[in-house]
Amino acid sequence: MTLSKILKNTFLVLMASLILTACATTKKVSMDNQMQGDVYTGTDTVEYLASGVPDRVFFATNESILTTASRDTLRKQATWLRANSEITVVLEGHADERGTREYNLALGERRANSAKDYLMTYGVSASRISVISYGKERPVDAGSNPLSWSKNRRSVTVKAN
Amino acid sequence: MNRNIIISTGFHFIIIMITTLSLPFLLKTPIDLPPIISIELIQISDKTSIPFAPKAKKIIEKIKKEEAERVVSEQAPPKKIKKEKPDAVPLPNEKIDKVKKIEEKKQNPEKIETEIKQVSEFEKKELFDPNNIAALIDKSKEDFAETSKTTNKVTQSQDRNAEPSGLSLNEEDALKAQIFGCWSIPLGLPYNENLLVRIKLQLKPDGTVVKSEILDHVRMNKPGQGFYKVLAESALRAIRLCQPLRVPTTGYERWKDLQLNFDAREMLEG
Amino acid sequence: MKFLRILTILLLIQFKAYALIEVDITRGNLSPLPVAVSPLSPDKKSITEFEKILNVKDLGSEISIIVENNLRQSGLFNPLEKDAFLQKPDIAHFKPRFEDWKLIKAQALITGKVEIIDEKLRVEFRLWDVLAAKEMLAIAFTTVPTNWRRVGHIITDKVYERLTGEKGYFDTRLIYVAEEGPKTKRIKKLAIMDQDGFNLKYLTLGNELVLTPRFNPTNQMVTYLSYFRNLPRVYLLDIETGVQEVVGDFPGMTFAPRFSPDGKKIIMSFATDGNSDIYTMDLENRVVERITNYPSIDTSPSYSPDGKYICFNSDRSGYQQIYVMKSDGSSVKRISFGNGIYGTPVWSPRGDLIAFTKLHKGKFYIGVMRIDGKGERLLTENFYQEAPSWSPNGRVLVFYRETKTDDKGEGFSAKLWSIDLTCYNERQVPTKSDASDPSWSSLLSN
Repeated sequence: MTLSKILKNTFLVLMASLILTACATTKKVSMDNQMQGDVYTGTDTVEYLASGVPDRVFFATNESILTTASRDTLRKQATWLRANSEITVVLEGHADERGTREYNLALGERRANSAKDYLMTYGVSASRISVISYGKERPVDAGSNPLSWSKNRRSVTVKAN
Repeated sequence: MNRNIIISTGFHFIIIMITTLSLPFLLKTPIDLPPIISIELIQISDKTSIPFAPKAKKIIEKIKKEEAERVVSEQAPPKKIKKEKPDAVPLPNEKIDKVKKIEEKKQNPEKIETEIKQVSEFEKKELFDPNNIAALIDKSKEDFAETSKTTNKVTQSQDRNAEPSGLSLNEEDALKAQIFGCWSIPLGLPYNENLLVRIKLQLKPDGTVVKSEILDHVRMNKPGQGFYKVLAESALRAIRLCQPLRVPTTGYERWKDLQLNFDAREMLEG
Repeated sequence: MKFLRILTILLLIQFKAYALIEVDITRGNLSPLPVAVSPLSPDKKSITEFEKILNVKDLGSEISIIVENNLRQSGLFNPLEKDAFLQKPDIAHFKPRFEDWKLIKAQALITGKVEIIDEKLRVEFRLWDVLAAKEMLAIAFTTVPTNWRRVGHIITDKVYERLTGEKGYFDTRLIYVAEEGPKTKRIKKLAIMDQDGFNLKYLTLGNELVLTPRFNPTNQMVTYLSYFRNLPRVYLLDIETGVQEVVGDFPGMTFAPRFSPDGKKIIMSFATDGNSDIYTMDLENRVVERITNYPSIDTSPSYSPDGKYICFNSDRSGYQQIYVMKSDGSSVKRISFGNGIYGTPVWSPRGDLIAFTKLHKGKFYIGVMRIDGKGERLLTENFYQEAPSWSPNGRVLVFYRETKTDDKGEGFSAKLWSIDLTCYNERQVPTKSDASDPSWSSLLSN
């Protein structure tokens, strides 16, 4: 086998593999709008405490770590809460259905506390925040697919008074 | 969207064309298959204990000729001429075939031959030929050692005596197949315990049971071994359900006392 | 020398002549044992009493139907059709004509009689070995007439024990969460029923979320999680009186409650500041004891039957795994090491196995492992299932399954299922509504 032949074949194969990888599904493109990795980034289920203040943050599977977007949301909430000092809130922690019931109760509590701690570092007093976990008992989306599940992994800030 | 599909289809077509033109260096190296070894499934012959061959020499010669004749034994006075009867036990239905295959795996073909060699001791005429007897005794001593080795491998019971079963393979298969069908193994048994029940039977020539005795009956009432009683009862039920047992039509003296070793372990361990 | 050889031969001949033939029986069939359950025969006076007091026609037949259903559902027995029976119940009870029963292929026969004496229900029954033509069991007992269904269950337990060597599990109840409504807003109530589905009773009204109920060892009390007043806490409920009380005075969510084997303590998880640990509370002196102290989620505790050890679920290693520790919280040891996430560990009443839920590659499994973590066996796989609970004889597991919803988010259902330890006899446990979180009581009788 001559060198030129080898080179030609290598070139052809490279072209072939590049072409194949270009055949990405179009679905993923629209999914990327709503999820980043495992975390929901859409606005479907989001409500607002006030104009421009989303009421909830989302989590990855089994995680209670706050994403950049979540921290951004929570800062907005903190600002709003500092401006309305008579308001108290309840942070509701939730989990998706893909886990055991009791562990999910604990996970929801962990997620709500994660948000609470962040609000506290931005000046909201602990006495104004209480926490409750609903585990997987109160999903916002009844679907059985990854997108639905990602919408359910959340911590929601609810006005208590 | 459509444009993408067209471009994609076009390039896919190009790729297919390219590969059909067999890019040389994509050729797979030929797989080196090992040469096929032909295996022959040897049918285990149905030789059983030969009664009393007239001359030991003759028997040894017959083995060398390799026939598959069946012989049914019967203990009769020494002067009787060796009989050859076709095996009277009813033959293959599917169950027996399947069971036979399992038996083939277990059985050591050597076993049969040693049986035949041993039996030649019954020969009484030859007693007066010291040389022959000397040869036989030496052989038999070896054979004994061999048989005890093989039988230890095959059986699960530890008390088993060194002699192999007196039933021909076909006779044994027939009886086993019958009892397999009758034995309802209690599903609730603990699968990690000793599940062996040995039952000694006294039979009538037609296969009905005169007396049955559970050999480890002391275990029946031991605390913590409650399942043993259940297992033993299921074995007894199987025997009762299967009466009359599928016994050979001849050689009553040989099998009138029969011991059945029920072991549920294989079925329950799954 | 020649003489010696002759002697040897003679001896060898002797040996051969008396050899006992042994045949190994290593296989049989695993089909259910055919059993005939004859209706219990009542005496004439009692028949009218039954109708008057209990409003039940043909009590003897009803009880035999309970026994049949129990035996059939165990998967180990095959009760034969009554139409084929040749002998009448009253005669059969005293002297069965075994030939008649052999004819219909029965291997065991149950006969009995039932009557009302001094306003009490008296039951007498016998178990016969049809093939051996002899009696295997003869028992008589008395109870309150309203317990007539339990009579059938008690008979089944005794027969089951005699024929399998294991204690039965039929005179038991199941407590579970009855659910209904849309998936996003389920209404949940505590429900209790006989293990065969009868005598269903609701213990709460459905106004607040209730989860994960458990019986106490005497089956008179229930502990569970309730969101009463929007505060998720562990509660105690007396089945007889219906009185509920909160367990302890915790400043945060308590959940996953169980009773200790002696019934004196409640063990549960307490969550605060993002961390969940296991605590116990003595029901008598109300003393609270902290059992785990680790910055992880520790939950789903389960005592060994002797009360010396606790297995529980913890994510201290990063993901949910199963751990075992002494009941004072010392000597914590991880026992699950397979691929996947493990949860809901439950110690078998026999002490030898721990059942669990496992999630791996998007599938849920119910499995068992030995208490050292070895010998893991997965019994069943499903899109979603969890929370196994042991029958009192440690042979059967009850758990629940949920179905997928379609694109519109509809089609959700939750049902109870059970499976035998040998993976045999997987079947749905019928409930009136959707159901989850089942828990098996101990034997109601002794």
